[in-house]
Amino acid sequence: MKGIFPIVLAVSCFCFTAFGEEKAVEKPILAGEPYVYTEWEAFTTESTHGGLINDHIFGLTADGNRLWIGTENGLVLYENGKWKHWTEEDGLPWRVVSSIAVSPKTGDVWVGMFGGGIARFSAGRFDHFHQLNSGLVNDVVYSLDVEGDNIWVATTAGVSSYNTITGEWEIYTEKNAPMEEIWCYSLDATKDKVHVAVWGGGILEWDVKDRTWTDHHDPDGEMEIDLYRDDGLIHIITTSASYVDNILWASTYFGLSRYDGRHWRGYMDHDSGLASSFINLAKGRSGTCCYNATDYGLAVLVDFETDTWVTYLRETEDAKTWTAEVKIGNELIRKVPTQLSLPNHFIICVEFMGDDVWIGTGHGLARGIGTGYWPGLKKSEKTVSAKTTKSE
Amino acid sequence: MSRRLAIVLFSVVLALPMIDGRRAQSADRIYMGESICRQCHHDAIGKRNQFNLWRTSKHANAYAALAMPEAKEIAELSGIDVNPFDSKVCLGCHTTAPETEAWERDSRFYFEDGIQCEACHGPGSGYMELDVMMDREKAMMAGLKMPGEEFCMVCHKEKGSHTAVLRVKEFNYKDALREIAHAGKGGDLPQMEKPAVKLESGPKYTGAMVCGKCHQGSMMGHQYSLWRNSRHARAFAVLGTEKGLKIARDQGIDNPQKASQCLKCHSTGYGNPPGRFLKSFDIAQGVQCESCHGPGSEYSPEAVMTDPIASHEAGLLKVNRETCLKCHNEENFDFPKRVKRIAHPKPKGDRVSQIEYKTPFNLAITKDGERLFIACEGSDSVIVVNTDIHRVVAEIKIENLPHAVVLSPDETRVYAANRGTDTISVIDANTYEVLTTIAVGDEPHEMALNNVGDILYVANAASYDVSIVDLKQNREVKRLSAARGTWGIAPSPDGKRLFVSNNLSHYVKFREPSKSEVTVIDADRGVVTDRIMIPSANLVQGVAVAPDDEFALVTLIRTKNLVPMTRVMQGWVITNGIGVLWKDGRVDQLLLDEVNNFFADPTDVVITPDGKYAYVSAGGIDKVAVIDLDKMKALLARSTDKEREAILPNHLTASMEFTLKRIAVGRSPRGMTVSPDGRFVYVADGLDDTISVIDVAKQERTSVIDLGGPKEITLTRKGERIFHSAEVTYGRQFSCHSCHPDGGIDGITYDIEPDGVGLDPVDNRTLRGILDTAPFKWTGKNPSLSRQCGPRLAVFFTRIDPFTPDQVKALDRYICTIPRSPNRYRVGDELTPAQRRGKEMFERTHSNAGREIPIGNRCNTCHPAPYFTNREVADVGTKSWLDQEGILDVPHLNNIYETPPFLHDGRAETLEEIWTRFNPNDEHGLTNDMTKDQLNDLVEYLKTL
Repeated sequence: MKGIFPIVLAVSCFCFTAFGEEKAVEKPILAGEPYVYTEWEAFTTESTHGGLINDHIFGLTADGNRLWIGTENGLVLYENGKWKHWTEEDGLPWRVVSSIAVSPKTGDVWVGMFGGGIARFSAGRFDHFHQLNSGLVNDVVYSLDVEGDNIWVATTAGVSSYNTITGEWEIYTEKNAPMEEIWCYSLDATKDKVHVAVWGGGILEWDVKDRTWTDHHDPDGEMEIDLYRDDGLIHIITTSASYVDNILWASTYFGLSRYDGRHWRGYMDHDSGLASSFINLAKGRSGTCCYNATDYGLAVLVDFETDTWVTYLRETEDAKTWTAEVKIGNELIRKVPTQLSLPNHFIICVEFMGDDVWIGTGHGLARGIGTGYWPGLKKSEKTVSAKTTKSE
Repeated sequence: MSRRLAIVLFSVVLALPMIDGRRAQSADRIYMGESICRQCHHDAIGKRNQFNLWRTSKHANAYAALAMPEAKEIAELSGIDVNPFDSKVCLGCHTTAPETEAWERDSRFYFEDGIQCEACHGPGSGYMELDVMMDREKAMMAGLKMPGEEFCMVCHKEKGSHTAVLRVKEFNYKDALREIAHAGKGGDLPQMEKPAVKLESGPKYTGAMVCGKCHQGSMMGHQYSLWRNSRHARAFAVLGTEKGLKIARDQGIDNPQKASQCLKCHSTGYGNPPGRFLKSFDIAQGVQCESCHGPGSEYSPEAVMTDPIASHEAGLLKVNRETCLKCHNEENFDFPKRVKRIAHPKPKGDRVSQIEYKTPFNLAITKDGERLFIACEGSDSVIVVNTDIHRVVAEIKIENLPHAVVLSPDETRVYAANRGTDTISVIDANTYEVLTTIAVGDEPHEMALNNVGDILYVANAASYDVSIVDLKQNREVKRLSAARGTWGIAPSPDGKRLFVSNNLSHYVKFREPSKSEVTVIDADRGVVTDRIMIPSANLVQGVAVAPDDEFALVTLIRTKNLVPMTRVMQGWVITNGIGVLWKDGRVDQLLLDEVNNFFADPTDVVITPDGKYAYVSAGGIDKVAVIDLDKMKALLARSTDKEREAILPNHLTASMEFTLKRIAVGRSPRGMTVSPDGRFVYVADGLDDTISVIDVAKQERTSVIDLGGPKEITLTRKGERIFHSAEVTYGRQFSCHSCHPDGGIDGITYDIEPDGVGLDPVDNRTLRGILDTAPFKWTGKNPSLSRQCGPRLAVFFTRIDPFTPDQVKALDRYICTIPRSPNRYRVGDELTPAQRRGKEMFERTHSNAGREIPIGNRCNTCHPAPYFTNREVADVGTKSWLDQEGILDVPHLNNIYETPPFLHDGRAETLEEIWTRFNPNDEHGLTNDMTKDQLNDLVEYLKTL
């Protein structure tokens, strides 16, 4: 549906909503209790006495109880309370580590470097692959992931895949993939699918078995508004993709999208628990739960079915600790204080480690300790209800 | 002319090259076969007599010539250990378009036609149309090539192998051109349309090519090729030669190729109505199979042909004297002699016996110490020896170049690594039956099993990794990255860790010393947990772990490649010893050399179960050193850190303190094993085809087990012994093998020139399959291997008396026969899409901008098939400040992926770097216009060569 009719329809809806009759409505009721991370540990370079060598955190990857951290100046490993780091002096080929992936088969750690290509870090040895010595399409690497024996790399000039057995490199750009832009911002590889978030090009989906690409775009093509909700990807400027339980979560700078293979669902800050529509990364914990790293805090869609959210943010710029807001949609149900004390709420990355969650920000790293964690909603006898007034 | 018009015209002029270029690039490139060319170029009495001239030339028989016994000999001399008909290298000069995929060849194209028109003039589909061919310029635009001397010389430049076997005279281009001259045009246009023919019932003539489909190959005695080499096959074409025409004219015949008097004996089936010939029949093939054996349509199906009675009933004729006399009715026709000349029997299955040495490499022993399993590279077999009677009890033929064996913990299975076929043979240890084979990485060497025996770890020397094989599924489940030249594997006593040796050094920066890695694997998790670095070492091959798990021992050499080779007299080229890898991470290095009595090529190491002694084999001096481990530990314990780091690794007498003795064994000792009771050490005497038995109590070789190899020593074997012996070097420091393990490379750069000041550093080059790639040396100044290995070797390398002429001859013969590994990137005819695109780039004539690339700046000008070198020298802009000359040998590209680093001084670690870093001015081919994906494609294609 194109042309003027959709706009007229939208305006009509807006008018109906704005000037419609006010009436008292029931405040939504939680279908169950979401888990709220209240216990947090925060780490900065200062607080760790340099253990965290740099606290501009660009990438987080958990490998069992080990956390790999990509920073603006080095690769860091956090294990059993101890820090270890590798900089260029230690053989790291390039200082800015944007992404890390661990091969489940070999245990090798693959490191994506912003401007420096990629490296295999295996038992202390860095093997450097860059655009001059290998088939990597470009050295400005935003993201990488492991699929079987293949390493997939999202770069500023397209996607590369490297077969670690045959040594063959493949390049995917506008020449051989439905890539309207070649600025590939994020990548998520699973056994069956590889998803690429293309900044300005939507989401590309690679079918591992068929070796074919499928593209997902914003059907209304509008830049600033989502004209038809749930008609497709919420926006074409995508920043990440996360595929879990056959569900695709895609973040954009204008909201979050969920796709189950048939239906899309869109979320923006005004109609959901998103702290902001500006999402740096969305990471699905399951098909119904997604953690969103926004420029204004961490927004967790805990339960898709009931639209239950827990959003972690600093209520004010000078707040010492963060607050968790429990919401249904964008309706605040209650606030819960937390111990999280990071000074920066520009969240860049998220990772899960067992029941814990890690967040990386522009200034520091934090771990939410999931003591007694439960997924989804926990049924309780207590029912929260309240009357309020709402415009319809 | 208005300004606007001028602009338009200017734009058109600018666009012209682009349009032409695209047209040229998109031209149809299908090889059509000589029969298509023949349609116009066959006119015996007119001006276009090209077919007859070609068909009676050697070019037309080039493919069939590969069936000759000499071809096999030449192939062996060229390191080609497959049938010449299956070798891209042989086919490269013996047929047309062997590098093509099936889709690039029309159904009327046959490799059997040898070097036919399109070999020189290019694939015909683009220019074959009459209106195009009538216009030379137009035809050339459409792909017609008129090659010159350079093109011919790619195949006709002297090849050592051919000279040695065929004793051919020197090729003279002008004479050769005269010999095959086939100019001529004009005359009446041929009749293209042929009337439809209704086939008659009964036997019909099918043509020789139909017979040839089955009667090819060694199993059939190359019957088709034997015929093709005979005069019978040229009987028709010969009528169109000058001589044939003269004979005809003398008899009043104008065109013998249309005269019944001639055709009845110079063609097949002449006189039969057209309906008795199938479409596949070609009269131009002369006296074909069916001339003697009768029309074949009814008996040619395999089911009929293989049944003597059925085939006879279907028309297969028996050939006797009368058959021949129909044409050969001359008075003195000697039937037995003539039949012998054209004999083409099918072999009876018994292979011609060849000298086949055993060449034992590595061995494994059962827990009761009663049976040895020995991997023998020479005989492609595993030999089983009963240690009680010291006799061979079984020999199990497996695949190509079995390098090592390992026994399962329950001793029901033997696993053998075939480094020539990249597989593991699984053998029943009791019945000696080969149960299955498992594909692993490239060039598998040693193996180890986990404690349970369900996981096999395989060191892959050419893919630089370790395959992990699930033996329940008999398949490889993952690969772990090791280092370069992954070689040996030894488990720790508890089986939880595996120590993996790597033969080649890590890549190091230019003019920095080597550093080698021992990779440590967690056997339970199947992941690499440590990479132990050994500075200044390479050729780390043998590995063993002490019974108390305190340390591991590796064999190593320390190559001083950063100083000129002329320093050999100071004992400073290669030193030989062991590495001690302590549990706490410390690494010691100890030499086993003594002043002027070096320990060249330490190859394997074993430790006795009581941990008292280590035995180290030295392939270059035919000795095994006995190390008293307590004394070795004592020496290290009392040495300072500085002594351990800087003095002992270079100390030429320290070994006398802990080496009990050097025990003489057979030639070129390789792998060893210790009997479980610790009483005996068994040593594989690689070039004697024996196993030496060392009595540990006596520290002496007490017996020798003969593996049954031939007693005759061939020239090649003699050369192999010289190649592996350090006898020829000052102080016996090193052998040819020290720098060319397995005939390949050691991956480092040397200063081997006489300047003695470090100029002209050169990267080591492989010896695999190099004979016909002369000239040699990076400067291209040595025209033959004899020159390369002759007096020059003594002057620059060995510094003692040069080889005798007989030794040089033997050495050259052996080097020639070092086989090239099978290419791992091209399976059969098909290319992958990326390889196919890469081939386009390799053969492109126009840049991405559509401009014609000067011929000298195209890849395939200097690197033409089959060796992918024109065997000339060229300056590709790689002269460095250390080089005295920039004009260098054009290297061959076969299996180029095997031999990094690249360029003459090894500056390019990868193929990509040749162009991304070291071709800034497009002097090494026009490459800077390529996009990254095009370069990737080019690299993928290069790997298939």
